[in-house]
Amino acid sequence: MKHLIPEFERMKTRLPPGHDATLLVPCLRRIQEDRGFIDNSDIDGLVEYLGIPRIQIEEVLSFYGMLRRKPIGRWHLQVCRNVSCSMRGAERLIDELIGKLGVQPGETTADGRFTLSTVECLGSCGTAPVVMVNEAYHENLSAADLDALLERLD
Amino acid sequence: MTAIFINGQSVETGDHTTVLQVALANGFHIPHFCWHPELSVVGNCRVCVVEHEGRGVGIACNMPISDGMRVLTDSEPVRAQRKAMLQFILLNHPVDCGICDKAGECSLQDYHYEYNGETAISGDAKLHSTKFFPLSERIILDNERCILCSRCVRFTREISKSNVLGLENRGDSMLVRPAEGRSLDDDPYSDNVIDICPVGALLSRSFLYQARVWYLEPTPSVCPGCARGCTVQFWHRKAEWRLSGLDERHNTRVHRVTALENPRVNGPWICNKGRDLPELLDRPRATQALQKGAPVSLMQAIETARGLLDQAGKRVALVSSWGSNEELRAFRNSLGDYFTSFVKPDHLPLEGEVVEDDLLIRADKNPNTRAAQDLFGTAAAEIPDDTELVLVWGEGVDFGTLPRGVKILFLGSWLLPENGHADVFIPISIQTERRGHYTNFEGVVSPFEACQPHRDGVIDAETLFPLLSAPGGSASGGGAA
Repeated sequence: MKHLIPEFERMKTRLPPGHDATLLVPCLRRIQEDRGFIDNSDIDGLVEYLGIPRIQIEEVLSFYGMLRRKPIGRWHLQVCRNVSCSMRGAERLIDELIGKLGVQPGETTADGRFTLSTVECLGSCGTAPVVMVNEAYHENLSAADLDALLERLD
Repeated sequence: MTAIFINGQSVETGDHTTVLQVALANGFHIPHFCWHPELSVVGNCRVCVVEHEGRGVGIACNMPISDGMRVLTDSEPVRAQRKAMLQFILLNHPVDCGICDKAGECSLQDYHYEYNGETAISGDAKLHSTKFFPLSERIILDNERCILCSRCVRFTREISKSNVLGLENRGDSMLVRPAEGRSLDDDPYSDNVIDICPVGALLSRSFLYQARVWYLEPTPSVCPGCARGCTVQFWHRKAEWRLSGLDERHNTRVHRVTALENPRVNGPWICNKGRDLPELLDRPRATQALQKGAPVSLMQAIETARGLLDQAGKRVALVSSWGSNEELRAFRNSLGDYFTSFVKPDHLPLEGEVVEDDLLIRADKNPNTRAAQDLFGTAAAEIPDDTELVLVWGEGVDFGTLPRGVKILFLGSWLLPENGHADVFIPISIQTERRGHYTNFEGVVSPFEACQPHRDGVIDAETLFPLLSAPGGSASGGGAA
């Protein structure tokens, strides 16, 4: 986390003095982007840097489902299971992924290649069902599309 | 001076800034869970709703006052919203009042009877959660009963500043939890969260399933644990609910200690040491007067003591800093001329104990050092080798440090080995068996009342001192000397 402090200092200049605690969520996002997850050492670093009690950081980490405390696989498959996607076959895609990868939602394959998650609406109902792979959207997915997609992900 | 109208009645707002504060100060009850006078306003329980006429319904705890505003605390929309809110708060609450220690002093129970009174509208099964989660050696948490008002969390952040507790996860998975690797054991004020919990979620392990609170009554007292002299309530069994089939101690024991709110000394808080006073009071008592270890009658012991007093040349008294103001005055009036008196600490800080902090805890672990020193000075005890008699009043003196061959007159309450080493030992009463006053380190005088029966064979120090000084006999001594 230490190497990100110059960036955090730049973010600080956008805030009125005495509002350092407001930086908590932006800092956590940046750390996750950098490391892939938030490590215990990062929490300790933020306790020191932002001067807030550890419990307040733990509260934020447990509140926001997108902040992770554990590493994930190289490819993060996030399948939307809200109404539109479910009606257009997302549940079948999830079943297929569970079968193919041999993991349940929330788990990572033993080779560290894939992490499977189910998520709430990704805001792309018009092109349901949607699977987000790392930062990219894959829309209107059929079972065959999904197979082809997995082939391309090493 | 600003005035507002509550239910049509004009009231002065004084220094208050919110409708809830003004209402409570003027005798209008508005239900509230999350609001607490000593904590920040979070407004999350939503039951303190009132109607601001012309503006609609809002929460009173966070409604600023404006001159002439008209507020209704019990209008139809207010009642409807309160009722709906209580249905919501009770959505996953187990309603297990029958086995809950808080029953009888639970806000949720009271408000439910007063403002809702209906069975659950929801047909969904209640969610289950953790029960008996250990927050510390002293406190367990029942998450099913918790209504997430966050009073305990704010207490650890704003009052005790231990920052141990937080609310983890969200929605109906939200739980009060300590920070990873920490527990409320780190907080010397932790037991206050049991008092401020508006429901039965935070429970004292030492009081768990011990007694129904309506069988108990509080007696106002003063904590003797340090020089702060926090006012406390000793909870003991009501006389009319006396148990006849069980150990008599159940009828006389102090079952729990809570804070007695006192803005001049401790506000609404006390430290954990105050909560543990029952352990201190339950120590084995000395009820037998002794002469060189041999049992004698109380009157015989007093006679012998008076004989020692008359015969001895140089006399030194080590005065108790646990004596009440009344006892200290009685000592000075009756025996002040006989003795060179020094005030001694009866108790010193224990190992592992918080010695002193910024909130309440004082380094002097005795309740009445101030009053004793006002009467007998602040000098440390100096006992010349040619001293012939030492009067030791209370605990904290190692007889081995006294000059060799000196006669010892010991006034104590507890069953201790040194009782038998004194030339005369006279058992005296303890704080819970008599009334009196303590003066705290700032000079604030607080009263305490008796709540336990006087034991046979034990005398009040206040009664004893005049008997010791009476020349050639006393009223109760019958002139036997």
